This record gives sequence, structure tokens and C-alpha cells, in this order.
Amino acid sequence: MDPTGVIYLAGVGIAYAVFWRKSQDRSKSALRAGAKSFSGMLPTFIAVFGLVGLFDVFIPPALIEQWMGSSSGALSLLVGTGLGTIAAGPPAAAYPIAATLLKSGAWAPAVAAFIVSWVLVGLVSLPMESKIFGVRFAVLRNGLSMVAAAVIGLLMGVVL
Amino acid sequence: MTTANAPAKRSLAQTLKPYRLVFAVAALYAVAALASPERALQAASVALSTFVGVAPIIVAVFAGLGLVQVFVDKQAMARHLGDRAGLPALLVAAAAGTILVGPVFVIFPLLKTMRDHGTSWAIITTTLTAWAVKLPMVPLEIGFLGWRFSLARMTLTLVTAVVMGALMGRLMRGQSAERDMEAEPEAA
Repeated sequence: MDPTGVIYLAGVGIAYAVFWRKSQDRSKSALRAGAKSFSGMLPTFIAVFGLVGLFDVFIPPALIEQWMGSSSGALSLLVGTGLGTIAAGPPAAAYPIAATLLKSGAWAPAVAAFIVSWVLVGLVSLPMESKIFGVRFAVLRNGLSMVAAAVIGLLMGVVL
Repeated sequence: MTTANAPAKRSLAQTLKPYRLVFAVAALYAVAALASPERALQAASVALSTFVGVAPIIVAVFAGLGLVQVFVDKQAMARHLGDRAGLPALLVAAAAGTILVGPVFVIFPLLKTMRDHGTSWAIITTTLTAWAVKLPMVPLEIGFLGWRFSLARMTLTLVTAVVMGALMGRLMRGQSAERDMEAEPEAA
């Protein structure tokens, strides 16, 4: 068994022990809330891990290299940001996909841009954001966030 | 304003969407199995071993998520952010955003309420951007991408949150709010 997972579990266990002494009722509802979020996300997890498996076996690394490889430079960055913008779903689903991309030879800045635009930009939620905050805010924020995703991706290439 | 209807409509779509994806992936596996049974099996075993590898982290993350959901008072946080301005306020908003947990259809209306109570666009943007840090999910991110990746992404997202807040505060100046003038941060 993976030691990091056990360490996290122990950490959360300790946190629960502390909160349990503070309030049993609220700790129980915390467990329920966690279980509810988990069951809500379980179908997505099943789909994403299934997809990761297919991806791993059937997508040739050469294809990833061509579209998201370091030699493709600006195109990679654009593809990463674009994929993250279109994708909708919990960030927990983005990590396994990003890991597979990296393993297949994608450029780290492109993968970073993919993750950042996944969590920061929402094409699917744009209509809702416009309705709540106004079109000007929604378009400006998402537009700037796409630029930010590409810039963060590039900077991460320097750091990593 | 139709915000009151949005959550119900959205949550229905939200419950149906994941299952659609499962069916789509199952269909892909069926096609793969027809094309090459042994490679489809190999794909399934990669899927399973990836899942088993991170399952303890996933359980820990969601248990922790429950704690944040119950013990972090979103409304109180919103009130706390409402009457602040300037660069220190943006830093507080960035910190607050990182522990904010919830789906879009909960967070957007919450921030909208803050906005209606006079919180500046800058604070709203910074909180919303820092929400993308997804602190409770970080163990999972580290599990897949390593701590260097995760740390760099978090740090850069936080810096972006403050810069974006200041920038959006300027760009949204004069947009439907007289209180913007006094709540506007002078940092840019």
C-alpha cells in the first residue's frame, strides 16, 4: 500500500479526533458531507480512471508529442490551455489525465496550463457566470484567466 | 434575477452528467474490446491499478473536505471580506478563497451576495481566482503530479489571484456600483 495515502489518512483521522472532542454532531455531519461529495463524484472518478487506462494503451505517445510536446512550443501551450478551457468537471479528475499526458511526453508548461485553465476557466459555466455577475465580468475574467493559465504554464516550466 | 432557479436546474444536470460519461467510457471499452480484447484488458488493468494506487488519498481528501465544509462558515467569511479594501484585503481574500469549498452553483451565488452587499469587484475576483487553488484537493494533486508541481501551481495561482483582482477592479470600475469608489483598492 502506498505510504503517502496512509499518512494522509492518519492526518485526517487525527483532525477528526480533534474535532470530535469539539463537537460530535458536527464531526458526524462532516463525515456525511464528505461521503456525499465522494458519492457524487464517484461516477466521474470511474469514467476518468477508465479513460486514463484507454489513453495509456491506445493513444500513441507520438500524437501527444506532436500536439503537446516541447518541440511544438506555442502550439502545445495553446492546446493545453484550450483543452482545460473546454473541459468541465472536478479538479480531482484533471490530475490523473495530466499525469497521463506528462507520462506520454507532453511538455510540462502545456500540462500546467491545462490544469490551471481547467480550474480557472469554465466555458460550460460561462452562461451561468454571465447571468450572475454580468457578461462583462464573466468574459473579462475568463479571458484574463486563459492568458494567466498560459503564463503560469510557462513560468512553471522555468521552476520545474 | 433568475439566480434562485439556477441551483435546482444546475444540480439536476450535475447529477446526470457523470453517469453519461461512465456510459460513454463503457462504450469506448466495448469498441476497444472488439478491436483488440487483450489491449482493452490491459487498459482496464491500468485503470484499476491507477485507481487502487490513489484510493487511500481519495478517501482522505473527501473526509477532509467534509471537515472544511462543516467547520468553515462561508457566510461569516463573506461578511468578514465585505468591509475590507486595499492590498491587505486582497491578500485576505486570496487566503479565504483557498479554503472555500463547493461547486460553481454554490460559490457563484455566495459571491454574488457579497457583491450585492457592496464588496468590491477586486475582492470578488481575487476570492474566485484563489478558489481555483483547491487546497483540500492538493494531496491528490501531489499524488499524481508531485509536490514541486503542486507547490508551484498553488503559489502562482495565488499571485495571479491578487493581480487579477487588482486588474478586474480597474476594468469593472463604474460598473453598476456607486460603492465601488470607496471599496476600490488602490493597489495595482
